[in-house]
Amino acid sequence: MDWTIFLPLFLAAAVEWVEAFTIVLAVSLTVGWAGAGAAAAAALVTLAALTAATGGVLSLGANIWILQLVVGVFLLLFGVRWLAKAVARQAGLKALHDEDREFAETRAAVRNADGFAAWIVAYKGVLLEGLEVWLIVVALSLHGSSWMWNTIAALSALLVICIAGAAVRAPLRRVPENALKFIVGVMIVSFGTYWTLESLAGDVWPLGDASLLALAAFYLIGGLLLVPVLRARRLRRAMA
Amino acid sequence: MKALFKTLFGDGPNLVGVAAVVALAAVLALTGHGGIAAYVVPMALLAVVGLLASV
Repeated sequence: MDWTIFLPLFLAAAVEWVEAFTIVLAVSLTVGWAGAGAAAAAALVTLAALTAATGGVLSLGANIWILQLVVGVFLLLFGVRWLAKAVARQAGLKALHDEDREFAETRAAVRNADGFAAWIVAYKGVLLEGLEVWLIVVALSLHGSSWMWNTIAALSALLVICIAGAAVRAPLRRVPENALKFIVGVMIVSFGTYWTLESLAGDVWPLGDASLLALAAFYLIGGLLLVPVLRARRLRRAMA
Repeated sequence: MKALFKTLFGDGPNLVGVAAVVALAAVLALTGHGGIAAYVVPMALLAVVGLLASV
């Protein structure tokens, strides 16, 4: 097991499962736990089928150069988005993700809906949040990392969130979501940068595999430095 | 469908920003400047993060 991949995957999955749990919880108060749970289970079965199909297709063999490029670009698309949102939230340019608000909005949306419409809301919510987890599992599994351990990381995050959610029976608002997104964004952008450039230009990283650590440090420090710069800019704009 | 696209690729500015940096990396790699790309690409990506965070 590779902890440098297991840990970011676990954290990334946990963030997504918290959002999915909030939607399922809101729907469960309208159609009951059985209906909402069935919708969530159906979405998880869809994701499991997708993961199995992806693994099967990839095991047939594909050009490693192209796979690495596709994986790298997908990681950049994810990581850059997560890191930018985390920086914007830290700088006060964007509201912190509010699970209570998400919960209230979903409840309002399903309050007057019939059972099937509410079921669809829960199914779609879990499927879309789970798709991000699936993409990260696929991306990180392609580069010589174990499918099994990466899937275990995503599933163990799901288990932890389900247990915590069942115990609290309220939106999991104490999860430091922005800090997690900041760290996971840094790690995903680092992997994405490393693999994208390696696929395009070959072995160009000056420190070899250790360049991944240097990249993570660069994005972490750079992201943290962006926060006060953007905050000062926001204040200047507010005073103008 | 729109939600699925956004889940996979992010919004327009995110897609454009990442595409621009990947294009820059490809140009540097194809012109034999891969070593320089190892320094330029992370800086360009951090600039994209800053731009996306500020819009």
